[in-house]
Amino acid sequence: MASAGSGDEKAAAAAMITLISSDNEKFEVTEATATLSQTIRHMIEDGCTDGGVPLPNVTSKILARVIEYCKKHATAAAGEEGSSSSFSDAAFLEVDRAFLEELEEFDDAFLEVDRATLFDLILAANYLDIKGLLNLTCQKVADSVKGKTPEQIREMYNIVNDLTPEEEAEIRRETQWAFE
Amino acid sequence: MAPPPPPDLIDDAIVEILLRLPPDEPEHLFRAALVCKPWLRILCDPAFLRRYRAYHGDPPLLGLLHRLLLDGDSAPRFASTTSMPDFPHPGSDGRRTRPLDCRHGRVLVQMLDDDESAGYLVWNPVSGDWRAVPELDFDRATYTAAVFCTADGCDHLDCHDGPFHVAFVGSDATWHFLWASVYSSETGVWSTPVSLDNGRGFHIWPRRATLVGNEMYFTMTQHTAIIGKYIWVKNCLSVVEPPPQATNSRWVSLMTMVDGSLGLAGAYDSSLYLWSRKVNSEGAAEWVVCRIIELKTKIPMENPSDRASVVGSAEGVGVIFVRTGVGLFIVELKSERVRKVDEPGAYFSVFPYMNFYTPDRGSLLSIARAL
Repeated sequence: MASAGSGDEKAAAAAMITLISSDNEKFEVTEATATLSQTIRHMIEDGCTDGGVPLPNVTSKILARVIEYCKKHATAAAGEEGSSSSFSDAAFLEVDRAFLEELEEFDDAFLEVDRATLFDLILAANYLDIKGLLNLTCQKVADSVKGKTPEQIREMYNIVNDLTPEEEAEIRRETQWAFE
Repeated sequence: MAPPPPPDLIDDAIVEILLRLPPDEPEHLFRAALVCKPWLRILCDPAFLRRYRAYHGDPPLLGLLHRLLLDGDSAPRFASTTSMPDFPHPGSDGRRTRPLDCRHGRVLVQMLDDDESAGYLVWNPVSGDWRAVPELDFDRATYTAAVFCTADGCDHLDCHDGPFHVAFVGSDATWHFLWASVYSSETGVWSTPVSLDNGRGFHIWPRRATLVGNEMYFTMTQHTAIIGKYIWVKNCLSVVEPPPQATNSRWVSLMTMVDGSLGLAGAYDSSLYLWSRKVNSEGAAEWVVCRIIELKTKIPMENPSDRASVVGSAEGVGVIFVRTGVGLFIVELKSERVRKVDEPGAYFSVFPYMNFYTPDRGSLLSIARAL
């Protein structure tokens, strides 16, 4: 590891990005991991990442989770690129399939968080523009809303009902089928 | 340089969540609309609803209209396949009606006076609006028709108030002549009818037709089955041979395959067969079996002599309708799952109605607009 200081190592070091959470914690990540975020990708393209990227909307707790997700999916993306030239090879297909299954398991385990964390992850994914993470987390919430009554949804996500009793009664009268 | 200012996170995130509520059970959207005013506002916002439809793509199946075999015309009913109640049918006032087609969010309904045809309605069940199409004058004993959107570059996700055509084909009482004509909502007239002497005594087997590009395909029969083709842009009629194995049964359904080719589904020996008509670069066509689904273990039969018959299909959502003595069933092609959607009946042709049903209506919309 510490042998010949090759050019490759320098290139790898140069491709590291520092992300700074709202509580001022620094995270070193590879460019491949960081650029899963379109927001960070644009900042890198504009050359605005020297001295680190401050992310005032993301706490260190959430940023650590986001980075965990990006690392896993950046590896997956790299793996896909690597094997695509040999896609006709059954062995490679098998590897791809196993990898996709592993990724799915990772995603399922990743979503095993409390509602507050899930919501924070959505806000971070939206702010950082990480399409895969946004889809994963929003679909989880959408699935949890499915089949619930408006009261249960309000309770689950701490939402204040600002409809007047008259408005609510009128809507319920008209669309009674949706609440049976 | 400072990072870009954060967007309005809360609203954006809610939009992303609501976008992912499934459209095939509209109750989810309607319940969400009653959670609070910000959710209601989003769910009635035209920009959000455009995004919602684009995100989900093909509109979901909301209900069915039926044409029955022996009992004559079925009750004027839009049979909901979701938790939503049936939409009020234009024939609910007691008039006799006959559904002829469903496509692009519209239903084509024939109005009947005693047994005489009295023109047609192009009906949008979701809005309740309809537009009248005049009667056309040619001798036909059996017939079928297709309604379709003609707006340029339309994705057919929300086009039901735009321009449309109705293509109509009929066979005369001698069973030798076929007629066809097309109606344009923009000119308000039917084209000069074109006719074809099919010479073989085939007449139209009046089930739902299918459209492949500018071509309308429909089933015809004598003792065996054959396919009619009407290219409405050229006002030209011709016939197409079905797959050799499918000529002995009239219980086939034509459909458009995912690759844009003409498809045909039929049930033989308790299996559902799906063919696709592949046309090579020299124009030669060949039917290729692309799917066989074993039905015996999936669909209940009334008794050993009961048979499964294909009575329709719904393009886009990938389902085939199969009738047995036990009821009407939906076979989902993707999952091969089967579910019962109606009680037993003499189903002859099933018309699937696909559209989005969103909360932007009634009190929900007026309260949302006042916000």
